[in-house]
Amino acid sequence: MTVFVIRRFMQSIAVLAVTAVIVFIGIYAIGDPAEMLIAPDASPAERAQVIASLGLDKPLWEQFFTFVWNALHGDLGRSFVFNRPSISLIFERLPATLELTLVGLFIALVIGIPLGLLSGLKPNSATDEVIMTGSIFGFSLPSFWQGMMLIMIFSVWLGWLPSTGRGQMGEFLGIHSSLFTLDGLTHLILPAINLSLFKLSLVIRLTRTGVRETMPLDFVKFARAKGLSERRIVFVHVFKNILIPLITVIGLELGSMLAFAVVTETIFAWPGIGKLLIDSIMRLDRPVVVAYLLVIVSLFIFINFVVDVLYSLVDPRVRLGEAS
Amino acid sequence: MKSMKFLLAGVAATVFTMGAAQAADLTIGSATEPSAIDPQFSRTGNNQNIAQSVFDRLVQTDAAINMEPALAVSWANTDPLTWQVKLRNGVKFHDGNPLTAEDVIFSLTRAKDIPNSPAPFSGNVAAIDSMKVIDNLTIEFKTKKPTPDFMEQIGFVYIVEKKVAEGAKIEDFNSGKAAIGTGAYKFKSWTPGDNLQLARNDAFWGKKQDFDNVTIKFISNDASRVAALRSGAVDLIDAVPPGDVKTIQGISGLKVFSTASSRLIYLALDSARDKSPFVTDKDGKPLEKNPLKDVKVRTALSELINRQLIIDRILDGSAEAAGQLVPNGVAGNDPSIKAVAFNADDAKKLLAEAGYKDGFGITIHTSNDRFPGDAEVAQALGQMFARGGLKVNGVVAQPYNVYTKGASAGEFSAFIFSLGNSTPTSATGLRNLLMSVNKDAGAGSFNRTKYSNPAFDQAMQTATAEFDAKKRIELLQKATNMVFADVPVIPLYWQKVHWAGKANLTYVANMTEDTTPVLAGTAK
Repeated sequence: MTVFVIRRFMQSIAVLAVTAVIVFIGIYAIGDPAEMLIAPDASPAERAQVIASLGLDKPLWEQFFTFVWNALHGDLGRSFVFNRPSISLIFERLPATLELTLVGLFIALVIGIPLGLLSGLKPNSATDEVIMTGSIFGFSLPSFWQGMMLIMIFSVWLGWLPSTGRGQMGEFLGIHSSLFTLDGLTHLILPAINLSLFKLSLVIRLTRTGVRETMPLDFVKFARAKGLSERRIVFVHVFKNILIPLITVIGLELGSMLAFAVVTETIFAWPGIGKLLIDSIMRLDRPVVVAYLLVIVSLFIFINFVVDVLYSLVDPRVRLGEAS
Repeated sequence: MKSMKFLLAGVAATVFTMGAAQAADLTIGSATEPSAIDPQFSRTGNNQNIAQSVFDRLVQTDAAINMEPALAVSWANTDPLTWQVKLRNGVKFHDGNPLTAEDVIFSLTRAKDIPNSPAPFSGNVAAIDSMKVIDNLTIEFKTKKPTPDFMEQIGFVYIVEKKVAEGAKIEDFNSGKAAIGTGAYKFKSWTPGDNLQLARNDAFWGKKQDFDNVTIKFISNDASRVAALRSGAVDLIDAVPPGDVKTIQGISGLKVFSTASSRLIYLALDSARDKSPFVTDKDGKPLEKNPLKDVKVRTALSELINRQLIIDRILDGSAEAAGQLVPNGVAGNDPSIKAVAFNADDAKKLLAEAGYKDGFGITIHTSNDRFPGDAEVAQALGQMFARGGLKVNGVVAQPYNVYTKGASAGEFSAFIFSLGNSTPTSATGLRNLLMSVNKDAGAGSFNRTKYSNPAFDQAMQTATAEFDAKKRIELLQKATNMVFADVPVIPLYWQKVHWAGKANLTYVANMTEDTTPVLAGTAK
């Protein structure tokens, strides 16, 4: 385990370094931030002043090494637009996205796994057909359109749920979240559903496939022969076996939901990091884009690490750190 | 069924009581968000929206960009280099302290050095040589050189309170600690990406506001913003997409507020260089001579454009055909210059006279996410030019953040751009867009094609040095007339801008495209 952790850590550093180079050069190649930031009626003297103050007059290599030097000292740069440390902009908005993602994932799992089990246990039944057909919608309808439809139906026509922004925040055990107030929860429902629909379909299908694959295996027959109840067979023995692919996919999906909930956050005006990223790219706020991607890469590294550890817990055959 | 009815009744009752309780509150859904609360940090539109609500300037503009007194009540120049400005009596900051000459001098000094400001007000205060307190409410300014539009420059800098803002960081403004102004609303809080809250300033020197509390929600997506208005989540939205104007007008209980803005959409032509990168002969080979240098060719291109068709079919009527920089109503507009009319025959004749009887090849560049219909308008222009006998090699649409760099670097031959005019006269716009590029004189900073017309430069210098306001406008009109006869850019149209709100609200649709609660009220 210790060896595994150390090796992982070294790999992570390398990945971060490579990402930093690629992202920095990539964003440098797009456009000119000065064009985006400076007021159109600025005088040439003002332009020069702004360009110098943002360090944009320096050559690429110098900008890059300044960035690396500062990054090694824990400073990922200041946003051109907000003139605040980019890292604090990101962490200021991370909770909103985290909240949305976790609730979305919760919905996907709590509804998806039972539906998948139901389909998998009674393949080709009417229930299975309905669930499978339903999941096609979740897959194939674009997230953007789903979001607009949710707003049209539940906000504009029925007027039941709010469609924009984050609701009132509550405090519980020192954590600030809109999960703790009624207003906050109602604001959360639509975006969370929007974000979860695709994952929901994915979970249903993964679970169904897993069940279908596992049910005919010898150990299930053996368990039946032993006289175990069907309930115990499904919920303990079969379930454990279908968890491995689920954990892998959920792990990756959690990362991508966190990083790229952009569409949902834009439609529902949710103040999360996805929206920050897209705004920053549009405005060529380079420090924020670079810092954001580095944070996200770290996040993915962490999630993958957790997934690997979870494997070894769920499946005793998996041993960490023995790959070499 | 019965329970359903109950439920609906319940919902209706909730909605109704909510409406009654919030009668004196206003929620605005805004497409843009400020980058900071410090009013001097950036003079871009999104920051001005908030700054205007919380802070004041020495002067302000009305809906048609006419200058009117605000914190200054009167000003006069005793000699060409000296100005005396009288401040309004009895103005109080939100913390109760009175406005003094010291605060104004501090604010104008501070405007020069806001750290890392991307769009500072430094140009507005560049003309000041020295400032002197005459009494508590009178300031004497000395300028470096005669500056007839001095008040138009210093007048639009936001005034902060010296005691509070001295040494305050950008975070202090964002948190509200230093966000103390004299404006109609007091700053309450800002949650970036989500909302901003204001409360009425009961001690405001101007017109008493109709709303106790104002929430501005940031909803950047067009469809979501419209949906938020329709669902009642917000009372007023800005930047209504032209395509939705008809729909909203058809909904009872909603109202649209529109005006022609002073944002000009134009086609810039690479007319100054001997060779242009995207001009070719009919076979696609580069041309030795740049046809765009010839005013006959530029006029012909302008005549090939059917502006009204573009406005009706692509922009849903949300524009006004343009023939010069600023629309009617803004000082400097010359009513005698009309938008160039569609005239294919004359265009062909002009092209033949210029030696391009069979046309030439051209590529049009445009952004595709900057303003409504930018990519579609470029396509229409391509078709119109092709109809006039030109060979259109392509219409290239790029995201704005990529596009601007190419446009400024002179990589295009014909490209679409916009210029919003937010100053009371056309002088600033003319100077930035059409005067020869001259860093020392501060001219031509937006002149991407490096167009140069010495006679026009001279006319502008004469106009801006004129102290008599009426004469200055006449001189500006003359300069405008002279320069547009030479087709420096092809003016296409002025955008119309729309706000939409509940029928019990009023909103002053304004040419500067400002969204601020100060301009909203309840219908009487």
